[in-house]
Amino acid sequence: MKTLLPTRSFDDVNVGDELPELVIELTPTVIVSTAIASRDYQDVHHDRDLAQKKGSKDIFMNILSSNGFVGRYITDWTGPNAVLRSVKIRLGAPNYSYDTMRMTGVVESKEMVDGEGRVEIKIRGANQLGDHVKGTIDLVLPTDGAAP
Amino acid sequence: MSKSDQSLDERLQEYVNAAVQSPPGPPTRDPVNRPMIHHWCDAIGDTNPIYIDEELAAQSVHGGIVAPPTMLQAWGMGGLRGRGPSLPEHARAPAQVGDRDPGPVALLHEAGFTSVVATDCEQEYKRYLRPGDVLRVGGGLEAISGEKETALGNGHFVTNKTTYWDQHDEVVAEMRFRVLWFKPRQRGGE
Repeated sequence: MKTLLPTRSFDDVNVGDELPELVIELTPTVIVSTAIASRDYQDVHHDRDLAQKKGSKDIFMNILSSNGFVGRYITDWTGPNAVLRSVKIRLGAPNYSYDTMRMTGVVESKEMVDGEGRVEIKIRGANQLGDHVKGTIDLVLPTDGAAP
Repeated sequence: MSKSDQSLDERLQEYVNAAVQSPPGPPTRDPVNRPMIHHWCDAIGDTNPIYIDEELAAQSVHGGIVAPPTMLQAWGMGGLRGRGPSLPEHARAPAQVGDRDPGPVALLHEAGFTSVVATDCEQEYKRYLRPGDVLRVGGGLEAISGEKETALGNGHFVTNKTTYWDQHDEVVAEMRFRVLWFKPRQRGGE
């Protein structure tokens, strides 16, 4: 039988803890497959000719996918039993095809609320133009002694 | 005071003041489903087993497969043919907003704010979604800013609120989505 990997415990997380960097190579395949997986068929996310005609230098990532990478970045670090309560992101420089996005994050605060271990994480995803995304994520982590 | 005497800001604020949050519309085209979750996780590179592995998901706090929470907006997207009830406001051409009342986006177009870019997205999750959940979407205009100077050019921020209900008429998530309608800067002539 397979066993679910452990989840980082609220008790083991400290304010100021840094998440390991996640590097996303923004290949055309990444830009297009994420746009289509989110059912966003706006041409600037899959058609370079049209994107350039509209003034962009290439196709670029849609906002739904930026959300998706933020969610992945968080739970890659926490493990499977973190429960996301909110994700708030602000977009900056576009994630153009052939760029690289480097995601970093830090634990901003932690607090027990109503018996839950609530943690706030700030993240940023930067490419060579600047910050593509900055965000704040509120989530609940298991506490020691709590199952599982 | 006739319409033509009003400033653009006044006319935009009239829309904000009159805006109502619409009740849940018809169900989205597809219920929450595993194939769409698979496409999403493959594309994002998300290997969290609670989204994809039944045996491991059963051992999680959710007790079974759930959808990635940040996938929320995908469930209401119209798809290639624009089917489904919830083509987002920022994707609508002015003509689609309404014939009799052109709406704030048409006003912005008329005033030269013809380009749009998404700037903020805030999602709150009341619970994780499960395969089989049937979602309905409602919402509406919440705010329009005055004219702001931005790196892209001068523009107005337009905030829409979207609420997601499930098959039990419970609110499962809320989202605020902000776009900037702006006047593109003239390209420098060389």
